[in-house]
Amino acid sequence: MSVRNLVDLSGLSELRYVKREDGEIKIGALTTIADLEKQVDNSAWGKFLNDAITKFGSPNIRSLATVGGNICAASSSEDLIPVFLALDAKVKTLGKNGTREIPLQEFLAAKRKTALHADEILAEVSFPEPSARAACSFQKLGMRNILIIALVSVAVFLETDESRSKIVQARVALNRFKSKIPQRVESVEKELVGQTLSEWTIKSAVERLGEELALTSDYRASAEYRTEAVKVLLRRALVACQQKILGK
Amino acid sequence: MNGKDHALVVESTERLLDVLRDRLDLKGVKEGCGTGDCGTCTVIMDGQLVNSCLVLAVQARDKRITTIEGVGTREKLHPVQKALMKYNAAQCGFCTPAMVLAGKNLLDHNPTPSRAEIKEAISGVLCRCTGYYKIIDAIHDAAKEIAGVKS
Repeated sequence: MSVRNLVDLSGLSELRYVKREDGEIKIGALTTIADLEKQVDNSAWGKFLNDAITKFGSPNIRSLATVGGNICAASSSEDLIPVFLALDAKVKTLGKNGTREIPLQEFLAAKRKTALHADEILAEVSFPEPSARAACSFQKLGMRNILIIALVSVAVFLETDESRSKIVQARVALNRFKSKIPQRVESVEKELVGQTLSEWTIKSAVERLGEELALTSDYRASAEYRTEAVKVLLRRALVACQQKILGK
Repeated sequence: MNGKDHALVVESTERLLDVLRDRLDLKGVKEGCGTGDCGTCTVIMDGQLVNSCLVLAVQARDKRITTIEGVGTREKLHPVQKALMKYNAAQCGFCTPAMVLAGKNLLDHNPTPSRAEIKEAISGVLCRCTGYYKIIDAIHDAAKEIAGVKS
């Protein structure tokens, strides 16, 4: 490794926090996944992030990996990016000229490239605090059960009405696109909103996902394999959301 | 470092793994991959398992670190070490230091782990020889021994 000037940020404890403020959940960029894991069972936001946290790397990795690091790596395989997209997150940057707030989708510019300026760091990621009738699920496929890089993954956010069966809000985000930028799939979201959360709805959402999906082919897996696999992952995520919303 | 303070001048690009092996002669920490995928470089840092190949030496400043050399002695092995022997849970032994540290750290925090919790605790360390079951059995047994001694 050869660098001119290396600045280690890991000691900036003021960027290590999770707080509920102004109707949002705000997470400091240097919060480690292990920090999140410790609070997952006794926090308002835990159930929206617990899938991603428990599947992240391994315990060893979680001790060191940070939320900001995962977002800024931006190589199209990161676990937290689809989750934060599904949670409608934005990021806050910090630089010489102050702070900027950018929706996460805009922040992701290209493979391994974000909208950070040369003099900026990522300071925080935040998302609107979801209602009690909402759920988020993250499903990931790799070559093992743990310590895996995602061949493909999907994050689903669903919010229902008082009956807990009619979907009023749906966000579905995937990674491993040909474009190398994780994104939401609006066609599937439209298929879900306004529908009753049922087997029929899940089936039609999964069918819709298979249409016009341009995932990447590389040495890990082909686009065809990823497309078939992500349909299964979407089904699992929708079922998991349903169970979480119904309190199971 | 295993209960002793050290003051070292290091390069900014030196990893904790390099400092442990090359400067402090602690060869129990292995470099299996150098990319955080295998876990054979595992050490306990401030009560957490970390891959020392992913920690810059400068990031370890003022941290409490335990390597395998700091666990048990020839005369008094740690229960996890004894149990791994009893269960024949080591073959080539390359992952064993990391497995001991993972088991020890788990039992330090959770004295009565389930088998699922043991599996999770060692999930960051890959073993190509044993198939893991005997390692899990051993750690489960060690927990019982520690609980037995205390009661």
